[in-house]
Amino acid sequence: MMKHEMWRYARPILRVGLGLVFLYAGILKILDPVAFAASVAAYKILPYNLNYLVAATLPWVEFVCGLLLVTGYRVRAASGIIIAMNLAFMAALASTIVRGLDIDCGCFRQGGEKTSAWVALARDTIFLAAAIFLCVKHEKPIVTGKIPAWE
Amino acid sequence: MKLKLNRVFLEMGVIVLIASVTGMLWNHKMLIGVWSGNLDSFATVSSASQGQDAVPAPAGLMQVRDLYERGAAVLVDARDTLVFSRGHIKGAVVLPVGEFDSRIAALLAKVPLHSTIVVYCNGYGCHDSMAVGKKLMARGYRNVLVFEGGYPEWKDAGLPVEGENDEA
Repeated sequence: MMKHEMWRYARPILRVGLGLVFLYAGILKILDPVAFAASVAAYKILPYNLNYLVAATLPWVEFVCGLLLVTGYRVRAASGIIIAMNLAFMAALASTIVRGLDIDCGCFRQGGEKTSAWVALARDTIFLAAAIFLCVKHEKPIVTGKIPAWE
Repeated sequence: MKLKLNRVFLEMGVIVLIASVTGMLWNHKMLIGVWSGNLDSFATVSSASQGQDAVPAPAGLMQVRDLYERGAAVLVDARDTLVFSRGHIKGAVVLPVGEFDSRIAALLAKVPLHSTIVVYCNGYGCHDSMAVGKKLMARGYRNVLVFEGGYPEWKDAGLPVEGENDEA
């Protein structure tokens, strides 16, 4: 039953890990919304105003989802939102490759070293897989013995 | 099962709503600035615009540095001449918003309309760069960016500056 034991811990570790990633990503952008707006604008997808609206709201969605994952509250909904966000990020990143835009992904720290779209895409694929796993697989409380039928 | 999925979607909606509203409240000053600034630009610039972006796009430090290092953009300082003389981005041209009409001819003579122009001033609280950027677009410059971090961010990053206080 070794394999089973490992699985029991894999999910909470993944949940907290992914949660911390999004908490970190959210906080960095919340601290510098204007720089993030510039990063969003560099994608040349949205009109001027909407870059700022995204910069004002998206980091908070990331932050709240990260917080929910870390605390283990409403995990399915939070990971569902992360799935949707990651799909949108990946579409945006893919569009920069197609359009030949050489920009920083603006995923975490704003400014500094440039992260290429390919690296960001690879990273997002991992986050997406983790979020899908969390959304689909139910967390079972780590207890021994039989639990009365809940569902 | 269907009911449960609906519940998850409802929760997702509520979470996104709460987070977005928090973000909008947290950043309300920025958003109000963007919206009010943009509204008057639509009124004044749209007739002169050539279909493309009539409002300058924001540019981050890294993008500006990249353009600067490749020599791919003209930097325009929107602060007044006294502040400019104390210290500015190396190679920048001074074009204060108050002296725009008297100085624009010189810029038009030197810088072709298809050039990329980066306008900056004193950082995030300063709106002169946006004002000058809009005026430049109204004069026919098509690629105008506003470097919102401005001179303070540039200087803090240790990038080339010049002027009387450039050692400070």
